[in-house]
Amino acid sequence: MEEELRVRLNDHQVSKVFPVKPKSTAKPVSKSETPESRYWSSFKNHSIPNLVSSVSALAFSPVHPYSLAVAHSATVSLFSSHSLSSSRRFSFRDVVSSVCFRSDGALFAACDLSGVVQVFDIKERMALRTLRSHSAPARFVKYPFQDKLHLVSGGDDGVVKYWDVAGATVISDLLGHKDYVRCGDFSPVNDSMLVTGSYDHTVKVWDTRVDKSKWIAEINHGLPVEDVVYLPSGGMIATAGGNSVKVWDLIGGGKMVCSMESHNKTVTSLCVGRLESAESRLVSVALDGYMKVFDYGRAKVTYSMRFPAPLMSLGLSPDGSTRVIGGSNGMVFAGKKKLRDVVEEKKSLSLWSVRSQVDETRRRALRPTYFRYFQRGQSEKPSEEDYLVKEKKGLKLTRHDKLLKKFRHKEALVSVLEEKKPANVVAVMEELVARRKLMKCVSNMEEGELGMLLGFLQRYCTVQRYSGLLMGLTKKVLETRAEDIKGKTEFTGLLRNLKREVNQEIRIQQSLLEIQGVIAPLMRIAGRS
Amino acid sequence: MIRGGRSYVTSPPSFSNDAKKLLVCTGNTVSVFSAATGLQITSLEGHTAPVTTLIVVPASTPAQKILCYCWTASLDGTIRHWDFSGPELLKTIDAQLPIYSMVIPSLLSEPQQIDKRRELSGKLVAFVSVEDISVVNEGSKELRGHIRRFNLAKPRVPRGDTLKETAEPESIVISPSGEFFGICHKCKIHIWDIPSGGSRHAVSRKMTLHHTKVINAFAFHPTERVIAAGDVTGRVLIWRGFGNRKLALGNQKKKVRATVDLDNPGVRGEDDTESCTTWHWHSAEVNVLNFSSDGAYLYSGGREGVLVVWQLDTGKKKFLPRIGSPLLYFVWSPDPTLSSVVCADNQIHLLKMPSMEILRTISGIKTPPSLPRMYEGLASTVAFDRSSGIAALCTENYCVQLYNLLNDRGISEIQVCERNHQPGDEITVVVTAVALSLDGSVMSTTEVKLPEDGIGGLVSLKFWASEPDSKTFTLSTIVYEPHRDARVSAIAFHPTRSMAVSTSFGGDFKIWVCNSDKKQTDKDSSWICHAVGSYKKKPMTAAAFSGDGTVLAVAAENVITLWNPYKNILLSVLGTTLTPVTKLCFAGKSEFLVSASHFPRPELSVWNTSKLSLSWSYGLRIEAVTSAVDSSAFAVLAVIPKSFKTDESNENIFRGRDGAILLFNGSDPKPVSIWTVIKAKGGSISFLEGDKSQLRLAYVNGSREYVVFDPNSDESHERSAVDYDSLTGLEETGDAGYTSLYGQLPDYDKKRMEDVDSLATPFISSERPWETIFSGSTLNFPPLQKLCAEFFESLMEKRTAVVE
Repeated sequence: MEEELRVRLNDHQVSKVFPVKPKSTAKPVSKSETPESRYWSSFKNHSIPNLVSSVSALAFSPVHPYSLAVAHSATVSLFSSHSLSSSRRFSFRDVVSSVCFRSDGALFAACDLSGVVQVFDIKERMALRTLRSHSAPARFVKYPFQDKLHLVSGGDDGVVKYWDVAGATVISDLLGHKDYVRCGDFSPVNDSMLVTGSYDHTVKVWDTRVDKSKWIAEINHGLPVEDVVYLPSGGMIATAGGNSVKVWDLIGGGKMVCSMESHNKTVTSLCVGRLESAESRLVSVALDGYMKVFDYGRAKVTYSMRFPAPLMSLGLSPDGSTRVIGGSNGMVFAGKKKLRDVVEEKKSLSLWSVRSQVDETRRRALRPTYFRYFQRGQSEKPSEEDYLVKEKKGLKLTRHDKLLKKFRHKEALVSVLEEKKPANVVAVMEELVARRKLMKCVSNMEEGELGMLLGFLQRYCTVQRYSGLLMGLTKKVLETRAEDIKGKTEFTGLLRNLKREVNQEIRIQQSLLEIQGVIAPLMRIAGRS
Repeated sequence: MIRGGRSYVTSPPSFSNDAKKLLVCTGNTVSVFSAATGLQITSLEGHTAPVTTLIVVPASTPAQKILCYCWTASLDGTIRHWDFSGPELLKTIDAQLPIYSMVIPSLLSEPQQIDKRRELSGKLVAFVSVEDISVVNEGSKELRGHIRRFNLAKPRVPRGDTLKETAEPESIVISPSGEFFGICHKCKIHIWDIPSGGSRHAVSRKMTLHHTKVINAFAFHPTERVIAAGDVTGRVLIWRGFGNRKLALGNQKKKVRATVDLDNPGVRGEDDTESCTTWHWHSAEVNVLNFSSDGAYLYSGGREGVLVVWQLDTGKKKFLPRIGSPLLYFVWSPDPTLSSVVCADNQIHLLKMPSMEILRTISGIKTPPSLPRMYEGLASTVAFDRSSGIAALCTENYCVQLYNLLNDRGISEIQVCERNHQPGDEITVVVTAVALSLDGSVMSTTEVKLPEDGIGGLVSLKFWASEPDSKTFTLSTIVYEPHRDARVSAIAFHPTRSMAVSTSFGGDFKIWVCNSDKKQTDKDSSWICHAVGSYKKKPMTAAAFSGDGTVLAVAAENVITLWNPYKNILLSVLGTTLTPVTKLCFAGKSEFLVSASHFPRPELSVWNTSKLSLSWSYGLRIEAVTSAVDSSAFAVLAVIPKSFKTDESNENIFRGRDGAILLFNGSDPKPVSIWTVIKAKGGSISFLEGDKSQLRLAYVNGSREYVVFDPNSDESHERSAVDYDSLTGLEETGDAGYTSLYGQLPDYDKKRMEDVDSLATPFISSERPWETIFSGSTLNFPPLQKLCAEFFESLMEKRTAVVE
């Protein structure tokens, strides 16, 4: 049977064809999509499974092609950020806690829980330098933004060490934290300024140029600090501790600018992301599985996304094309988006022009002996000044509409029952009621069709949206077709299910009535006061 | 004063010779429409009763195509000759009897023959179907319909010779060649031939064709002796070769005689035809039959709204389906590519032939939908946009027609339910109410899907937002089952905010608000429920907002509850009426609330909401209530009780009028003015406040004819006397109604009697001749019957004076 029929409609026809349409349902009251949420949701999902345990740290190389270092258990894996395929693995003696690329992307440093900080060339297996000094597990390691010779590391011994990498020696021990040091970041504007955060609730600002000194400034977050980042201006920092994220103004004397407390569990990682409009956003992930985007300028959470695991680490590629999040179950939730590449476009344009020239010559060569001669011009596109004569759009009719149009009511009902779209079935039934033909259809149904109808009724008669019609219909069907249904074995299961559904519905109604009975006096009292 | 909404479909329209104009009989006038635009160009005014026949004088030569002459015949007993390009009345012939149909055969004959004939005898013969009113009074069994012959060329027509008498006046059909004419009468068709000789006394010969069913329509073939007839069962009969014996021309007589003895298939009895064939496609009666100009095709149509084209030789059919309304006439134009089909819903469709596309539609005001019994009197199918003078009217095909009352033109149609209407089908979906907000930007409709066997019933409430550019409405929100399965009894809009209230018989009312208050675009606007209220689970039957919108009055059967619509707080309850309230209206910005109820005992009450008491009440059945926005004036449309109307002395006062519009001012129980009207049942009234800040009252009657007039000026009466005197339908009788009404105000009759003279003064100006009738003490008044007669006499005198 032909599936679709297109009916040309005359403009001035007095009457029209009205396809049967299901009732429209209420639209959700959600706000329409903002450009920002569109930006953040446009990352296409690419998950990297198969990593053994919790992904404790992620880092992007600051130079093209922005390769990605993932620290999981006692390994650091390098991935290419284009294809997200693993290219190299570096193994450690203990669980890796932090990883960081040097400013030229040629080296990276990583520390593990044995307290050792190692520096690798990304192209070689063996460590270039092994920096041993921490007496307890090392928790973070960080290269400055420009400086290639030094790095800083911190650990559970509460000491922040400033290293000379080439000599593998500690230049200075920055003492002051009273508990585990968990995180730190270099200022983007000054290579000697850094902040560190510790479980003693404080974030301390250090200047490495001043030897053996105390910290310059101190900020109390109020909770053990999990992560700290400099915001791009260099004058502000953001700290994460507990389930709050706070933004501080360092230049203004360490005042809190704003705080975001929309996470439900401990915030584990922070990152600064950049939108297409070059605005910066603070992105945070937490153990509750949410990634939130925080507009610290307006103190507003602008986007929020849920992942199916507690999140441990976060990384955004410098070109904004890749977003990776590490989960505690070893999953890396990576998201990629296509960037508009101007160069590539140009290339393709030139390609096109060449091809069209080729087409031109070929077209000239067409002769009536070749079948394309008769198809020429069919794929012609209108130019801008052409006047377009639009063809009127035909009306697409579904199969049941077509049958209804031919007054084949029972067949229409059966065909829509086969489609398994309950809204459409109910719409056809309503149309049949309006034509006064529904009961006739039911009485004309053959056994198999009746079984289909009963199956439908059993499944949907208690659905609130349809129950108004279907409850009454179920009763009528059982009444009118009682003798056909009675003895048949194929209907017994259906009837049993139907009975169960109805009983369940009655129970629900009763409990609802009970609740109403409880609430009604309360409402009365509330209304009186 | 503006009148309009007249039926375009009382008699067949006619095209002008150049096919660029279409002449349509509209009541007492003939309206001329442009076929190219569908707009009215001019109208021929002069008849004083409905025009029944319209004959455009055909052009015999191409040069004559620009001539625009036509003949009209009317129930006022005159035949008039017009130049409709002018328009100018050329000649009036008084036939003295109401004319129901007229044909002028000589106009159709060959041109040279006409000229010859005119030269010979200087006469123009017309055959007319008249009602002999002289026999009416003697008894109903007399044959009142006469077919007569008139000579139109003579200035004064004597009573023409009668050809046939029937019980009712029938319409005459003439053959396109002008050789024959006939009438169908019950199961017979009577045919006469037209004597071609110039002799005045040549008698037309007559023959009769018989059928077993009542014949509705028939048509003559343009060239051959073929007749097609349609009967009530939907059969189309084709008689070929009729009248070979009886109507044969002299020189052919002998030749034809020979064929008489042959077996004539399908011919009944002694009928003088060669053969009779029957075509059956129509399921209901056939109303339209017409041959194409070359005689190859037959067009038929009927109640089911399908135009069928039969190929005469083969009986093959082609259709123009789904016109959606019973067809009444099918008319060819001189241009073979253009024809028009006239539908019962007051629409004239212009068809492009032979493809039968509808080119455009001349749309009159549509007829009201036929409602199932249970909805009669409950549905409010007319709403008014007060500022622009547009009425929204529910129509039979589930649409709302927007009709501009000031221009007398249809604007657009909005499909409320996505269904097609098929005339004759059982009604399963009813649009029960339409309401417009005060500024006309929002429309609300309710529809009921009637259940089959108790299942599948559905009530839905729809809100529509207006599109100012296209003058139409787009669907904004659908609410399914707004009050569960209970029906919506009334919808009312807030005067200033976008807020509406719907009441239901299920015992609650809901206040709806539009969320576009926050300056969103129209596309986003949607209506959501703001509050639900109920009063002792009583059915809510009517609702109204006060003039400033701070109070919402909802009628809960016998009591009226007053609410704060914003906070949904019950403010107070007004005392009980005897019967359920069906209509509520605040009198402008005043504190007075008008309520009306009609079952089982009609009542009109006015309440003072500040004192929470009844001010006054009348025992009148009210069809509609409206109030002015700025003043405290309000008007009601009352139905005059039957008992009062059938009273011997009042009969001639009302002359078929069954309703009255009463204009009140605030709390004053004395009506300021009264107008009596016809077809008040199902009628509707509303004040219109135009941009000129001129208050006008619009009245739409039960058959959707309307009048818009200024209730405060006396001038309108006189203008109407000149311009629109004695149109069919509505007729003003000035203040006559009051005297007739005051006898039937039982509650206040006795008390008011003393005030009659003071009553009379405010609304009767001094120059009126009847003023003296009411002066003096009421004790000295003559009896009512006498008073009315006298009063009317004075009124009549004045009228004639004005006309002359």
